[in-house]
Amino acid sequence: MSKHLKIALVDDDIPNTEILRDFLIRNGYSHVDKYHDGETFLDSLDRFDERAVVLDFDLSGGGEINGLEVLEALKERSPQTHVIFFSGQDSLEVAVESLKNGADDYIVKSNAAFALVKTSLDKVYDLQVLRSNEKRNQRISWSLALGWLVTLVGVAIFVAN
Amino acid sequence: MDGRDAVSSASTAMEIIDRLSAGDPEKKKYYIRLFLDTLEPELVNLRAADVGSDQERIRSILHKLKSQVQTIGAADAHAMMSAHEQTIKSGGGISQSELDTTCDRLSTLIQNLQDLLK
Repeated sequence: MSKHLKIALVDDDIPNTEILRDFLIRNGYSHVDKYHDGETFLDSLDRFDERAVVLDFDLSGGGEINGLEVLEALKERSPQTHVIFFSGQDSLEVAVESLKNGADDYIVKSNAAFALVKTSLDKVYDLQVLRSNEKRNQRISWSLALGWLVTLVGVAIFVAN
Repeated sequence: MDGRDAVSSASTAMEIIDRLSAGDPEKKKYYIRLFLDTLEPELVNLRAADVGSDQERIRSILHKLKSQVQTIGAADAHAMMSAHEQTIKSGGGISQSELDTTCDRLSTLIQNLQDLLK
């Protein structure tokens, strides 16, 4: 089943990013962009960016800024964006800092990491589906309420006449 | 690392790359080339590094390589690189012999990957 969640992978590790992208596509995520430095990724952002972001901490192989700086700039421009930190740094300090700055999850790169990233993205996807259902239900409720109102006004006019 | 370890490590890399490529032989070759494109130049950089003045550069290369060697199943190389990275981060330095051992291990891994392409 294709999952309608757009994803951006930001990591200077080219082979692992390519493999993770293929892995996610095989698991139903059809729209996966990749960036090898933070600057190019931030340039690609727009105000209503709906992508979930999988972000590495050490981006020194690609650009000048690290993952925490990307996270900070991203949250300023697009606070609703979900961010999963995906890092080779098993540092508590970086993990705490990323979560304090709005990351939804922190995953240390390991053999099981691709599956963990997918699980974390599945949660973001489920949340997105839930929100979209809530909005749809809200629209239906408003339509029903409006329908009742119109009917009541019609009945009131009929009775008055 | 003895010959048996090298064979075992090669079969692990083969199994893992097979799994990652979902059995697609072209994809498998593509992934192996991607790894080689990073590992080979970084091995040259590591061999050229000077333990006296390039510790931060060595740390940065090891950080980059450790995720890749882990993906291809070389747990021992990953542990070695992580330990060296940690030593440098905490203000210590690694010796020439430790750097040489790391380079030799990386060289074996590269050889294993090249063999998988044949």
